[in-house]
Amino acid sequence: MKIDNAFGTIDIAISGLRAQRKNMKLISSNVANAQTTDTGNGEPYRRAEAIFKTDGNGLGGVSIDEITTDMSDFQKILKPGHPSADANGYVSMPNVHLPIEMMNLNVASRTYQANAAVLKRYQQMVETTLELLK
Amino acid sequence: MINFNANTSSVFPKGTLDGIGKVKGTNTNPTSGFSDSVKAAEKYLSKVDDHQQSSDLSIKDLLSGKNEDIASTVSEVAKADMSFKLLVGVRNKLIEAYKQTMNMPL
Repeated sequence: MKIDNAFGTIDIAISGLRAQRKNMKLISSNVANAQTTDTGNGEPYRRAEAIFKTDGNGLGGVSIDEITTDMSDFQKILKPGHPSADANGYVSMPNVHLPIEMMNLNVASRTYQANAAVLKRYQQMVETTLELLK
Repeated sequence: MINFNANTSSVFPKGTLDGIGKVKGTNTNPTSGFSDSVKAAEKYLSKVDDHQQSSDLSIKDLLSGKNEDIASTVSEVAKADMSFKLLVGVRNKLIEAYKQTMNMPL
């Protein structure tokens, strides 16, 4: 795939911004539901994760292909009397680990910044080229 | 649009200039000539106008709440800005060329 359109770089950088914004949405949902023991189906909240995919084949923008749920084990803590507690008094807590979410948050916000920097630099490059007309 | 080959200038093509843009002589390239450059700039102007209008529309949609994707607005505005700057650069260059021609001592 070739990029001959002058706006190709803009579209790709914008797709990166958009994908990271959606990623941030997932992370905020994970953090907000870090203590949610009941999601309506009898299970605690399962951590959501974004799978990124390139648009088209080869060079191109990025988009979120699908949102998968983390199937790792739930943490169990002893809380007898809790409505969701099992026979032994243990409550399944979501498989969200806040330090990992903080790390993902940093990655997402830095990637967003990087895409914004690419967009800004590309605009500067085009302006430098137009300076040659003067 | 603009021919950058030094031997076949688009502003002063080979042959005699009979009024602006009307070229008599041995030039076989139909895309050269000052008026053709102006026409090309005019065509580009309508494209730039399309970009400006879609960027205006996307700003309006963003502010009215119809569209919540700020990234698409940023992209439209960036495209409109870039194409407008190119248009202004080409326009300045064309006017400069015209003035230089008119001020040429004969």
